[in-house]
Amino acid sequence: MVGLILSVGILAILSGGLLVAALRVRLWAKGRPANIDWWTGIAALPRRYLVDVHDVVARTPLNARFHMFAAGGFLLSLPLLLLTGIPGFSSPWLWSLAALSFIAAILGALLDIYRRAVLRPGELSRGGFARFPFLILIYALAMLIIASVHVLGGRLPFEALAPLIAVGLGAAALLIFGLGRGPLRHAFAGAVHLVVHPRPARFAPAPAERRGIASGLEPLDLDQPKLGVETPSDFAWNRLVGFDACVQCGRCESVCPAHDAGLPLNPKALVQDLVRSLDAQSPDYFGTPHTGIASSRPGRPDQRVIGEGATLHPDTLWACTTCRACVEACPMMIEHVDAIVDLRRFQTLDKGATPGKGPELLEELQATDNTRGLAAVRRVDWASDLSLKVLDESNACDILLWLGDAAFEMRGQRTLRALVHLLDKAGLDIAILGEAEKDCGDQARRLGDEAGFQRLAHDNIELLENRRFGKIVTADPHALHVLRNEYPAFGGHYEVVHHTALLLELVEDGRLQLPDLEGEQVTYHDPCYLGRYNGEYAAPRKLLEIAGAQLVEMERSGPRSHCCGGGGGAPVTDISGEARIPDRRMQQAVATGAGCVAVACPGCTQMLEGTAQPRPTVLDIAELLSGAKP
Amino acid sequence: MGSPYEALLRPLTIKGLTIRNRIMSTSHAPSYGDAGRPKDRYQLYHAEKAKGGIGLTMFGGSSSVSPDSPASPWNQISVADDGVIPYFQEFAARVHGHGAALMIQLTHMGRRTRWDTENWLPTVSPSPVREPASRSIPKQLERWDMERIIADYVSAVRRCREGGLDGCEISAAHGHLLDQFWSPSVNRRTDEYGGSLENRMRFGMEVFEAIRRDVGEDYIVGIRMSADELIDDGLSFEDCLTIAKTLSQAGLVDFVDLLGGQARDHMAHAIILPNMAFPVAPFLPLVSAFRAELDVPVFHAQRIMDLATASRAVADGHVDMVAMTRAHIADPHIVNKLMADKADDIRQCVGAGYCIDRIYAGKDALCIQNASTGREATLPHDVARADTHLKTVVIGAGPAGLEAARVLALRGHEVVLIEREALAGGQLLTASKATWREALTGITRWLVQQVQKLGVDLRLGTEATVETILAEAPDIVVVATGGYPSDGWIKGAELAQNTWEILNGSVEPAETVLIYDGLGQHQAVSCAEVMAKRGAKVELVTLDRAVGEEVGGTNFPVHLRELYRLDVIMTPNLTLTEIYGEGNKRVAVLRNDYTLEEEERLVDQIVLEFGTLPNDALYFALREQSANKGKLDLEALIDGRPQMASSTEGQFALYRIGDAVAGRNVHAAIYDAKRLCRVL
Repeated sequence: MVGLILSVGILAILSGGLLVAALRVRLWAKGRPANIDWWTGIAALPRRYLVDVHDVVARTPLNARFHMFAAGGFLLSLPLLLLTGIPGFSSPWLWSLAALSFIAAILGALLDIYRRAVLRPGELSRGGFARFPFLILIYALAMLIIASVHVLGGRLPFEALAPLIAVGLGAAALLIFGLGRGPLRHAFAGAVHLVVHPRPARFAPAPAERRGIASGLEPLDLDQPKLGVETPSDFAWNRLVGFDACVQCGRCESVCPAHDAGLPLNPKALVQDLVRSLDAQSPDYFGTPHTGIASSRPGRPDQRVIGEGATLHPDTLWACTTCRACVEACPMMIEHVDAIVDLRRFQTLDKGATPGKGPELLEELQATDNTRGLAAVRRVDWASDLSLKVLDESNACDILLWLGDAAFEMRGQRTLRALVHLLDKAGLDIAILGEAEKDCGDQARRLGDEAGFQRLAHDNIELLENRRFGKIVTADPHALHVLRNEYPAFGGHYEVVHHTALLLELVEDGRLQLPDLEGEQVTYHDPCYLGRYNGEYAAPRKLLEIAGAQLVEMERSGPRSHCCGGGGGAPVTDISGEARIPDRRMQQAVATGAGCVAVACPGCTQMLEGTAQPRPTVLDIAELLSGAKP
Repeated sequence: MGSPYEALLRPLTIKGLTIRNRIMSTSHAPSYGDAGRPKDRYQLYHAEKAKGGIGLTMFGGSSSVSPDSPASPWNQISVADDGVIPYFQEFAARVHGHGAALMIQLTHMGRRTRWDTENWLPTVSPSPVREPASRSIPKQLERWDMERIIADYVSAVRRCREGGLDGCEISAAHGHLLDQFWSPSVNRRTDEYGGSLENRMRFGMEVFEAIRRDVGEDYIVGIRMSADELIDDGLSFEDCLTIAKTLSQAGLVDFVDLLGGQARDHMAHAIILPNMAFPVAPFLPLVSAFRAELDVPVFHAQRIMDLATASRAVADGHVDMVAMTRAHIADPHIVNKLMADKADDIRQCVGAGYCIDRIYAGKDALCIQNASTGREATLPHDVARADTHLKTVVIGAGPAGLEAARVLALRGHEVVLIEREALAGGQLLTASKATWREALTGITRWLVQQVQKLGVDLRLGTEATVETILAEAPDIVVVATGGYPSDGWIKGAELAQNTWEILNGSVEPAETVLIYDGLGQHQAVSCAEVMAKRGAKVELVTLDRAVGEEVGGTNFPVHLRELYRLDVIMTPNLTLTEIYGEGNKRVAVLRNDYTLEEEERLVDQIVLEFGTLPNDALYFALREQSANKGKLDLEALIDGRPQMASSTEGQFALYRIGDAVAGRNVHAAIYDAKRLCRVL
């Protein structure tokens, strides 16, 4: 009798849940179509969940545990309860099994409650997700009592059990109806997201440090009537699924350099804003807001996301450095940066609303093919006494040195001269493109100017087509990323190597002797576009170690490294906050006590040198290895 | 974004030559020539600048093309025979090896040289007009002389090309033969080479046309010339511009290297080689006007000592190449420091004119503050780290002590630098009190900055005693305690003041003052100027033939100008023999050194300058406890070898440098310190 009621009740609730979910799916369907390999996605789901998601969740072991118990217990309990109503299945064994699932759910819920009430991590939201463990607790407690009665013989009168059944089913209903707008949506949207993920390459098997790396932006079809995302329905539908998967765990919030410096961007709030922009009936957001921005209002699928009276403040959009710390931290595999760039594309290409000095930079690019607005010859001014070979159609080289736009500035030139000095010492056959090199388009693309980027990409690819070289080496991780990961979509396929990787190779081959850095305390700052974007963490560290430097790691390093504030065009859009991102990063460097911050990116160099004194000296690895005093 | 100095680091291409940046050193005559050839010393001096990142270094100021323009005055270079070519080749290889371009200046000096040298040939000029500076009365050039000299120019340029030099400039500045033709102040000819500007230009045109014909279109030939002689009977701005335009438009010159002024007498020297009394880049506006009119690159040197001025000169389009010639004598590594973001570490020229003044006194060029310049072979600019790191104590933070501390710290030693006064700088603090001499403090300001950066334990306002020094348990003690004003052992000297008291302001000038200069250097003339400016009626008496006789050629004219303007009475050839009081007044007894007749002056105040005597009490107190008993191995010092190490446990080696040994000058103090300490 009790089993039948529970079974029917759960069945009814699940049917209701299905309906709620279907309504949510209808909302997702408002998004643009996406190319999805369903079968691969479905087949990959268990691995994506158990390996990729688990890897991220387990960085906080307590979370993995409570989730395993709560989710496992709850999910297991539903089919078991369904079975209890089927004659012949109901047995003390089944009830015992069910009891175990409830105990697991209770344990999980209690652990979560302990986390929220005792540990109280600041990045968690209140609201639905705060009530979530209590609902599970109530459901599981009520059901556990019922199950215990059945396990022990089931002699209690039905009247005594009825309130428990009501409470248990009520809690189950609240939980399951949350598939639409409640916390349980994460399970549904999360699972669908893993199947239809817009970057399936993220899940390709890879060594640990390269796992989860699929960082190149997707090309935008410039012939479309609308470029970029104006309204939620302009997002591909699987992106909308991704936003809905958010569990508001706040891991992105706690690693975001913009949020840390008090800029008006909190990636968790951003994703919630995107959820709310789709659905006017969204519940309120009870997490940390974007610093200095009043709470957002929900929108509708056909309403603008950005602007006056819309969900997102433009400053939020432009405060992002595209460092991917949020993406790297997200257990739900949400692609925050892609969303940011999609939104920026519309702002820049359609509205011309790039803020700060962004428009100037894009104009300079248009006029001069470089971000500095200088004559092309000035890219090679610094090398006039180095007799570097300039690659043309008639000659060839092993190593093509991609200079990047840092070559226009004294600071960048210093690094490049040091690098050329080292490569010369190793006797390599190097060459440059000279005046023919154009900006790789990184900043244009991150600022949303996809048209500008594609123009530069096509020009550079056409140029490289007509040059003979072995591989490309660059000291600029942004150029590395664009050439290695983004040009292939336009037909440019090259072996692109970061200078630290090449230098390490030379040292290991015995072709390059390093100076003695014995006794020097050095901390290494991972550039986002080398680390998180390309998974390269080891070579710079190894070089420093071989040279004898004492490497001290900052509070955040490697895949968890903290951005210098220089990516994504942030220095030109120049959204202000309570502090400056580079100052915050330098504080971490100062805390190590090291006398020198080793860097491997001209952007990082400039950002970190532009911080308040006294501070450690900032030197590129190439400079350190060519004898610059730390 | 970008550096304010970015404009300086842009390459410049002239014909086939790309100069890596816009910073250069103009040709000058450091007197490093050896038998008319640029040998190791000369080459290393320029190679150091090339190593230091300079774009173009030009050597051989006034290198001569003809036997009647002798190379021996100022130990110049003779390009009058092929024997010079191998030296050029070696020189070019050295400089090119560091990525810099190398050019030379060629000239016939005309009347601006001496006849009583190696060849004993008369000097020559368009007209036989005596030049005050060179003191020679020239022979008026005949037609065959002119043809001979044109041929000499052509051969000399060919030697430059064969020697691998990147180019050359023909000097038509400072009153050399070419501008002797141009300038109506010299050229009194009535033939086709005199009279109108076109006629006066004729010889120069013939020279350049002949050169171009012979050397071809691709070799770089420039001209050094004045933008305005700034004298009534000389070349005007318009004249100079016409000349520069004519030559450049005819394709005869590939660059024009400009300066303001001329050099026929003492005051002209002071102006054309402006010292610290002048504003920075005083002639830049003149040059800028040329650049606006010319189609070839413009070079310019004249008191551009800092990167901010240099960068402005280039970025704002006043010049194409900015010459920092004396700036490189003070610090040959300017460009490298700029590129390494260490511009703060550049030892900036203070404009003391010590380098050029030594040339005019017939000696070699040396820098008042950088002892290594011109001594690259024996005293490298960079200090090598020592293998063992010692504890060192330096007493006295004047130029000697500061340089000692700097060099010891660069060696890696632990350095304690103790100074009695609250400010570091020693006697330079006093010297700099004399109005336009203020920039002297730049010497010690840089040294103080460097020792602080190097982590020297600088203890100001601290009196060093034997006990406090020994308490540091030093391995080396360097006593650089300087000197105190000597009273010259004059009878009654206690009734007089000294120049220090006046300059430091501890004694007010009285109404009538007699300053007696027993030294002939800057001190007394400076003091006279300060006192006169403050209202005193000053008579400056000296035993020399003129006041400030030891002050160099670019400095004494400024002193004299100021003293004349202030109505200071200047009386030479008298020796002070005694001072006595008369009421509140003082009587100076003076004796004419030639007639031996005595005369007296009744004044309110007598100020004496006899140089310094060493502050040596501390040295003598330490001497007996030291391992070496204060002894200095002079041979080792000269050869750049280390002094005998102190071998005894618990004992220290003791050295004494600078005016604490004997009163000399800033360069001597710094040289003492560097050559001793770089090998300790």
